[in-house]
Amino acid sequence: MSVKAFELVPAVERELLMGDKARINIECIECCGKHLYVGTNDCFIHHFLLEEHTTPKGKLVFSAQKVLHKYLGLKKPVNELKAASALERLMVLCDNTVIVVDMVNLEAVSSGGAKIKGVVAFCVNENPVNGDPFCVEMGVICAKRRTVQIYMVYEDRVQMVKEVSTPEQPCAVCLDGYFLCLALSSQYMILNYSTGASQDLFPYDSEEKKPIVKRIGREEFLLAAPGGLGMFATAAGVSQRAPVNWSESVIGAAVSFPYVVALDEGFVTVHSMLDQQLKQTLSFRDGHILQDFEGKVMLASTKAVYVLVPRPLERQIQDLLAGHRVEEALTLAEGAQRNIPKDKFQIMHRRILQQAGFIQFGQLQFLEAKEHFRKGQLDVRELISLYPLLLPSSSSFTRCHPPLHEFADLNHLAQGDQEKVQRCKLFLISYLREARSTEGANGCREDVDTALLKLYAEANHESLLDLLASDNACLLADSAPWLEKHHKYFALGLLYHYNGQDDAALQLWVRVVDGDLQDSTRSDLYEYVVDFLSFCSSLDLVWKYAEWALQKEQKVGVQIFTRRAVSDEQEAQMSPDAVIKRLHKYHQATVLYLEHLVLGRRVQKEAFHTHLAVLYLEKVLSLLSQSPAPAQQVTEAREKLQNLLKESSLYRVQLLLDKLQDTDLLLECATLHGKLEEHDKALHILVHRLKDFPAAEDYCAWASASRDQGYRQRLFHLLLGVYLGPDAPGNEHTVAAVDLLNRHAVMFDPAHVLRLLPEGWSLQLLRPFLCGALRGATHARHTSQVALGLARSENLLLKHDRLKYRGGPVLVSEKKGCQLCHNTFTEPDCVCLPGGVPVHTHCAAQRVRDSPRKRQSTNPSNHT
Amino acid sequence: MKVKYNIDIVASSPLRVIKRRVSRAMPDSGKMKKPDVKLVILGDMNVGKTSLLHRYMERKFKETISTIGGAFFLKQWGPYTISIWDTAGREQFHGLGSMYCRGASAVILTYDVTNWQSLAELEERFLSLTDTAKDDCIFAIVGNKADLTDPKVLEVEPEEEGTGQPPVCSPPTVSPIVRKQVQREEAIALYGRILRYKLQDERSSLPAERMCFETSAKTATMWTCCSRHCLTWSFPPS
Ligand SMILES: Nc1nc2c(ncn2[C@@H]2O[C@H](COP(=O)(O)OP(=O)(O)OP(=O)(O)O)[C@@H](O)[C@H]2O)c(=O)[nH]1
Ligand SMILES: [Mg+2]
Repeated sequence: MSVKAFELVPAVERELLMGDKARINIECIECCGKHLYVGTNDCFIHHFLLEEHTTPKGKLVFSAQKVLHKYLGLKKPVNELKAASALERLMVLCDNTVIVVDMVNLEAVSSGGAKIKGVVAFCVNENPVNGDPFCVEMGVICAKRRTVQIYMVYEDRVQMVKEVSTPEQPCAVCLDGYFLCLALSSQYMILNYSTGASQDLFPYDSEEKKPIVKRIGREEFLLAAPGGLGMFATAAGVSQRAPVNWSESVIGAAVSFPYVVALDEGFVTVHSMLDQQLKQTLSFRDGHILQDFEGKVMLASTKAVYVLVPRPLERQIQDLLAGHRVEEALTLAEGAQRNIPKDKFQIMHRRILQQAGFIQFGQLQFLEAKEHFRKGQLDVRELISLYPLLLPSSSSFTRCHPPLHEFADLNHLAQGDQEKVQRCKLFLISYLREARSTEGANGCREDVDTALLKLYAEANHESLLDLLASDNACLLADSAPWLEKHHKYFALGLLYHYNGQDDAALQLWVRVVDGDLQDSTRSDLYEYVVDFLSFCSSLDLVWKYAEWALQKEQKVGVQIFTRRAVSDEQEAQMSPDAVIKRLHKYHQATVLYLEHLVLGRRVQKEAFHTHLAVLYLEKVLSLLSQSPAPAQQVTEAREKLQNLLKESSLYRVQLLLDKLQDTDLLLECATLHGKLEEHDKALHILVHRLKDFPAAEDYCAWASASRDQGYRQRLFHLLLGVYLGPDAPGNEHTVAAVDLLNRHAVMFDPAHVLRLLPEGWSLQLLRPFLCGALRGATHARHTSQVALGLARSENLLLKHDRLKYRGGPVLVSEKKGCQLCHNTFTEPDCVCLPGGVPVHTHCAAQRVRDSPRKRQSTNPSNHT
Repeated sequence: MKVKYNIDIVASSPLRVIKRRVSRAMPDSGKMKKPDVKLVILGDMNVGKTSLLHRYMERKFKETISTIGGAFFLKQWGPYTISIWDTAGREQFHGLGSMYCRGASAVILTYDVTNWQSLAELEERFLSLTDTAKDDCIFAIVGNKADLTDPKVLEVEPEEEGTGQPPVCSPPTVSPIVRKQVQREEAIALYGRILRYKLQDERSSLPAERMCFETSAKTATMWTCCSRHCLTWSFPPS
């Protein structure tokens, strides 16, 4: 309850009013502009002028100056005073009579008509339906039982316009439009004096306790309810606000938006109409009257008059915020919205939201804080600036003044609690991330991104790399030292790269790979660099770092070139020739690169093929030169060589053949001979020197792979010839020859073979071959016979069809008419329709033209 | 069985909302737009009206003090602003009830399942307050504090009143009335009488099975035999 909504300021002190006459009491007051009227129990009306001053300290004080006092001459207390400033009249209730007096001289207006007798209480309609500015509408409770009268008060007369009766005796009244709000003896009710319709509100024992009826706005009233409640009721008889909780002894109530002020025996209480909470309590003894006049709340004891001066809204809000009462502050601000110009309200509201956000932030209520920051459109930098060193030194930001919060910085806020600091940092991370994805970072992206980068780096956050790899505005100059401090060299490299400084990035990474700098972000940084270089568009850089990469590991380093997009090669600097030249020193890399060209990309260029073949060969030879030669490796190396020799037909055969002279690489030799189409030489090597018969057979198959059957057969015959040739000693080759024949029977011409075979060979030996050959021949014969038969029968069928279409003889004579045009035939040429009906040639053609779809059915056949 | 406490409101007769077009602009001092629908919670003191509302609005159970006068909340249900009035059950404030109920579209009559008298009070004291509600006002009868029911008592009970042991009672308030557990059938019977009192046709009204249920603001659990385990009303567009 720390809002100071009002200040109690004395207006008319006791001395001024009654001096030392102890028995005189204040009965009623009325304030109208600067004019204050006070009615006393000794039948006086006092008129004061109330001036407002502000002291040098900014306090509001009042000075009252007595203008006049007037004795009404009735020896009765003055019960009520109401001013009608437009008429310059004052209505006075005294001794059950309302008289109208002049506001200035307090003289009763002359004519005797300006007087109402038998009045218990009266009220003025502040919202009259009748718009006449020169009269005042008044509701009067008559002493006569159960009646309320409506009067019009003019400058010099009063006139009753309506009289309505009530179910019980009324004792308090308020008027708004046509609606009378009445306190009856046992309940409150609303009565429409125009239609007579009534609406019970709720029971209240007016005899036991003085009722309160107070108009608080258009068609809404505030009423004292049982249990010390202040109930709100509309003219329709419903409550739109929850009641406020006064004390049982409440005497009077007044409204000064957004507060309801009530007076009881010892205190003035202030409740908010917005949340019904008690906001302020002022101790006030002998309170007697509490009323609001045109928004000014006045308070009187029996001896003196005071003003309850509302403190400026913003001060109240600031007080609430200072007490960390965020919700109340916001409610108060929002409740006052309609009383403040829109743009001014918006600025104020935003500021309050931001302050509220910082209060909650200080309490680590991040969710709420975030919501308030968002609604208050907080400049993110306000938040960032709380965290030491996060804003780039180049940032032009300065904190808002007056400050939005009481914190110097995060350390001040956390008071050394590291866990708090951490939580705040995590919050900022999430907040900045959100700000980036919305327009929250507009105009200060650099500050936001740089701050985020720093937070990520510090927290070892995985998103650091995402941030740098995506579109960002991190400031290099400010981020670099920070990243270095946290050993985020890989990230720093990315940042360099993002800023177009690839050389710096690479330098840094190389140092990390080489172990000069420590950063474990990527264990595969070397591979990363190689990959990076393979995409790098600056060829100078590629050459600069390729050397380093190759020295580290040729197998990986060469990927700089092998992974490169082919289009880059358009540039002479990156042409394969240039690369190979550069790779010269690196044997393994050269091989890999050539393999990439020849085997991978299948570049059809003699130089590469030859180069690769030579390198393969050198490799084999060097392996073989070791002793003992590593068998496994030799096999692998030779396989590669052999495959290349077989598959490629671009390399320079003769060159390789020369290099193979005097080596044991006979299989390779044979292949090379094969490439030269020197099959006899090749087979000779395979059969006589290698004695590898399966290889010889394979050779035949390989060498004739893309040739026709005849070529293949020739090769097989050649092989057979080698087996059976004169320089074939022993019967070792005989077996091979027999096997060859038996296995590849179809490859041979049996007649030719039989002529070749030595006389002495047994038939049994060649059985599979002969059988195969015989079966093959027979099969071929049968197949051709079947084909012949099929062809014949097809021919027969066609003939049959032809005859069928022709039908019997077609008779055409000059007497016979054409079926289509019914003219006679003049010439022998005609067309037969299916069924043998002769028609004119031109008629048939016509018909075909007319019905193209029927074309098939007309099968023209000339007949002469 | 744990079911989310739910008085979210969904579907039925199109008559329920008759928006008052005659705009009685709220006085200068209002801050929120005028609610479209009013819902009032009635019931004897201490039955747990405020607790039920807390459960509904904030999804938690917290200590309450006996409500003074009344309180209200605004809630957005789709396009409608609903005002929910929590009334004070204390006798002293009884007179305010009909004003709260004026123009209400729905009334939740709340009793304490461990206190038979609180159910009886609904009929004796609170039902007449709803005379000011809309003619087609929807009624629901909610038995609160179901967490305190003692199954044993329910079994014994079919005998004559008073022979059963007084059941284990709910928290602090000492009541002069002998507490007796309430069975749901009694609430359903009351619902029927309410419809008759309101001259509403039982067949066209929402069925008692759906409008009478037992719950606990404390444990947020619902005890009811209704198939959907939640009370559904509706405020379809008018
Ligand atoms: N065990 C249990 N206790 C409950 C439950 N609901 C409310 N209570 C308790 O019952 C007491 C009264 O609850 P309130 O919500 O204040 O009751 P109320 O109906 O608002 O009472 P009034 O405002 O005086 O009319 C409190 O002590 C609550 O803690 C419930 O579901 N189970
Ligand atoms: Mg309550």
